[in-house]
Amino acid sequence: MSLALLELSLRVAVLATLLDLPIALAAGWFVVRSRLPGRFIVDVLISLPLAVPPVAIGFGLLLLLGRDGPIGAAVHGVLGADLVFTWVAAAIASAVVSFPLMARAAMVAMAGVDERLEMSARSLGAGPWRVALTITLPLAYRGILAGVLLGFVRALSEFGATITVAGNIEGKTQTLPLAIYSKVQLRDDAAAIELVAVSIVLAIATLAVHNWLLRRAERGN
Amino acid sequence: MSKQRDRVLRFRVAKGYPGFALECEATFESGVTAVFGATGSGKTTLLNCIAGLTRPDEGSIELLGDTVYSSTARVNKPPEKRRLGYVFQDSALFPHMNVRDNITYGYKLTPVESPKADLDQLVELFVLSDLMDRGVRALSGGERQRVALARALAASPRMLLLDEPLASLDVSFRGAIIRYLKRVWRELHVPMVYVSHSISEVLALAEDVLVLGGGRAVMQGWPSQALVNPRVTAIADYATLENLLDAEVVAPANADGLVALEVGTVTLTAPDVSTEVGESLTVSVPAGDIILALEVPSRISAQNIVPGTVSEVHTLETRVLVYVDIGTEVVVEITRGALRDLEIREGLQLYLVIKSTSIVALEGPTG
Repeated sequence: MSLALLELSLRVAVLATLLDLPIALAAGWFVVRSRLPGRFIVDVLISLPLAVPPVAIGFGLLLLLGRDGPIGAAVHGVLGADLVFTWVAAAIASAVVSFPLMARAAMVAMAGVDERLEMSARSLGAGPWRVALTITLPLAYRGILAGVLLGFVRALSEFGATITVAGNIEGKTQTLPLAIYSKVQLRDDAAAIELVAVSIVLAIATLAVHNWLLRRAERGN
Repeated sequence: MSKQRDRVLRFRVAKGYPGFALECEATFESGVTAVFGATGSGKTTLLNCIAGLTRPDEGSIELLGDTVYSSTARVNKPPEKRRLGYVFQDSALFPHMNVRDNITYGYKLTPVESPKADLDQLVELFVLSDLMDRGVRALSGGERQRVALARALAASPRMLLLDEPLASLDVSFRGAIIRYLKRVWRELHVPMVYVSHSISEVLALAEDVLVLGGGRAVMQGWPSQALVNPRVTAIADYATLENLLDAEVVAPANADGLVALEVGTVTLTAPDVSTEVGESLTVSVPAGDIILALEVPSRISAQNIVPGTVSEVHTLETRVLVYVDIGTEVVVEITRGALRDLEIREGLQLYLVIKSTSIVALEGPTG
């Protein structure tokens, strides 16, 4: 297996995670802490990618990101380049699919922060942003970080949405799962097993850190 | 505490929940005002409305002439703009900060145009200098509540809102916190709203009490009046009516293990306390444990016989509460029969008979 394949897979998963994090924090905060209407709808939308077939998500993204789609057209207008069938499209697909895992973990972590601490901070003169940055996030960060790792490991293993919107272009959009698929198609079992082994090692390492963080978070609270 | 009492807070709030509605209107003057009521009477909801943590359905809240909420004028200042110090029952200290960072959290956010609190004074008042660099997880209940009070006061609030600050404390810490709260008013002149379901605490701390029942104001007035209002007695728990008195240790334990305490102008003997001579503490004397006598009883086992003058007599259903001035006011519970036989009335000179073992120090070694 080539280092370039590993590098591309990690690059896609890292970008997916970075795209997800701010949205997951904002959406999670909206559902568990804001008093605004629409929380129920947002809560359902957060989990939607878990329940929809990844290939359907990929198809939806293809429509949105394609040159005729609203986002794809805008990007083409500004940069003169297409999004679909690039590694960025692969990252976006991975981001959508892994989003619920990260957002749900962030929600659990933020809901676990004693609301009276936030109320105390408010009455001591801190506005909502300051409370989020000095109280909620520091107390919830282990749980949030665990969610980030869970999202990362899910992004690393994304297949259905990615192949639909980014294709399976070796050296360009072919991540580990897509490479495994290609090797299996080619009946190159030895190469496929090697890639599967790499995937499992990556997954175990990430999940171990994830579980350790969650244990620390539970003890911390 | 006979300071000029200015109007501090005026409010009219209505807030409905499924199965419960708060509808209440009152004016609080400076000093310590208690909000008394049973669990579920709406005390905390009222406090949260005042603090800006809960938005009323309608009404108005005016703090020192500043309208912080008004449904008609569409004003609803967020809690951080109201400058009210809120102290929760369980302290709600920030667990990821040490004592110092907890106390300076609000201090650093004091608006430039507001007077800054005197941190050194607060550290001294609440005896925190040895705790400043400690994490808050390792603090005792009493220490936590002292830090919470200092943290709220460090933000130089216009008023302190205290939600049952003694309810989750061990008996050994309650006395100290009561003394600290009295000093907050005496030395810092910060008015307080003290929410409690203990009539004894209300008697010990407040000059004015608003009694809530089922989300509505039942009465407002002197705590001693509240104690005998039939609508209050229906919700108050008199089984635990006790005098919470300021005392100072004036002589160490004698050979019998009894110390001398000065309470008001009289000296009482009490079981040994873990407090040094010259230090003050709060003691509890249950109202039902005090005997009234018209003359000095002889050959009696009780160690304390104290002269006093009856200042008020209140009769409610089967029980009688007699307030006796012994240099400080003490409430005594007697039966109707005793009231008849002794012909107790206002102005009568008599003696209080108190067993030493009925005087309980509400402070432990670490207060």
